[in-house]
Amino acid sequence: MKSFFKALLNIFRKPVTVKYPSEKTFLPDDYRGLIGFNEDLCIWCRRCEMVCPPGAIVFSQDLEGKQTYHFSRAVCIYCGECVRACPKEGAIFQSNEPANFAVKESDINNNWNRLFDEALESRIAYAAEKKRRAAEKVVAAKKEEESKTVT
Amino acid sequence: MGKQYEIPLGAQHISLLEPLHFKFTTENERIVDTQANLFYVHRGIEAACCSKFKFRQVSFVVGRVCGLCSISHSTAYSQVAEKLVKIEIPRRAKYLRMLVIEMDRIHSHLLCLSHVAENSGYEALFMKTMQYREFVMELLEAVCGNRIQYDFSIVGGVTRDLKPMVAEIILKRLKIFLPQLDELMDIYKNNWTLSLKNKNAGAITRADAMRLNVVGPFARAAGLAVDVRNETEDLLPWKEVGFEMITETGGDAYARNILRLRELYISKRIIENIIHGLPESPLVTETKAFPDGEAVARIEAPRGELFYYAKGNKTQVLERLKIKAPTFSNVAAMVEALNGNEYGSAPAIIASFDPCLSCTAR
Ligand code: SF4
Ligand code: SF4
Repeated sequence: MKSFFKALLNIFRKPVTVKYPSEKTFLPDDYRGLIGFNEDLCIWCRRCEMVCPPGAIVFSQDLEGKQTYHFSRAVCIYCGECVRACPKEGAIFQSNEPANFAVKESDINNNWNRLFDEALESRIAYAAEKKRRAAEKVVAAKKEEESKTVT
Repeated sequence: MGKQYEIPLGAQHISLLEPLHFKFTTENERIVDTQANLFYVHRGIEAACCSKFKFRQVSFVVGRVCGLCSISHSTAYSQVAEKLVKIEIPRRAKYLRMLVIEMDRIHSHLLCLSHVAENSGYEALFMKTMQYREFVMELLEAVCGNRIQYDFSIVGGVTRDLKPMVAEIILKRLKIFLPQLDELMDIYKNNWTLSLKNKNAGAITRADAMRLNVVGPFARAAGLAVDVRNETEDLLPWKEVGFEMITETGGDAYARNILRLRELYISKRIIENIIHGLPESPLVTETKAFPDGEAVARIEAPRGELFYYAKGNKTQVLERLKIKAPTFSNVAAMVEALNGNEYGSAPAIIASFDPCLSCTAR
């Protein structure tokens, strides 16, 4: 009988469920959300890329040696390891903004694997270019020395 | 002898969430023989951990083996890796690990209880248990930053500290939880409808439990005092924080319900003790060593003993990682316990074992 009245009362009570996603749920201040990057503070040591378990961070490099940071929010598991590994505080940080569920095509793993491979290739290309330039320098230096000894 | 029918249940069944297939041979509604068929969801995690990931990253990978005992997996792996690189973790990290493991136990046990209620046909109790469980999910989110994949234990320690404010909220919420727990205990113990489905259902004797090497709440409900927390003291000091062994004698689904609820009182006490006596020390022991040799680690996950074996060869990548999940130890006994019961109560019985196939099949 008691439970019957309880059941009747429940009709008028506020439901305990939250209408996610139209309503926001509880989020603690230090929720592990999206990873942010601050280019000015970064010293380009690539430590964050090395520790990232799923490979959600990659740096590409152009032939002049300038690095660019890439991050995939679809691949990231929001573990925060990159933040812990970074020697420069604030260069990479974890905001408490949750990652959106993918509703647009651009939000899902959009060609990340290709981008990742291309980034690695670009670094190999830069290394090769660096080697070539160094060799050129050596050759140039040798030539100069030879020309000196001749005169 | 009546006519025998073979009835399948699973692999995807409305009342069974896990991809586990049972083939029952029934006779007049009674199960006379059971065959269990596992490993539908093999994901190759062990192979990935030994080839693709460095040993420090593996704790994040194994944390994704299972959504419910994520912390048990990552802690067990961290312990194994710490043995391989030969470090001792700071005291505070040990306490924080125990804190999260016990909070995880609360949510896991309540989830199992709610499933038992649901599969016994008691939807309202399912909702109520789930409602009471929600607070611990929010607390875990506040402590670890995520509701499910905690990523809290890493090789060498833990990733985050417990903020004083969060500690206060935990204590406050546990005080509110206590009367709720009493209420649940009352319902699971005294509700007549539920007891019709649960009493004497899926019973296993103590001798059988011992013979079949059962672990976890399944074993303790049958009167077998097995608990890793009681056996190992070197890695996590459980006794220090007020661990107490609990056993029931019934061995049926009802005894398992009561055992889980009684364990929650202990978990609550452990959490309070940890927060009150949290020692001061750094969070992580740093090391540059590479894993070398072999090691094993055991931990009491909510479902029972979780066993990790790892082998390193002085490189970044492990040579071998082996996970033995609690459900794997229990499958043989599960089959035994189902025989002789009515087919209609099979879903409730299976839920009361709390099988976790994503741990077992990986
Ligand atoms: S949070 Fe984890 S997964 Fe995401 S980028 Fe950082 S290290 Fe990688
Ligand atoms: S670890 Fe920090 S400083 Fe180094 S590359 Fe990453 S963001 Fe930059």
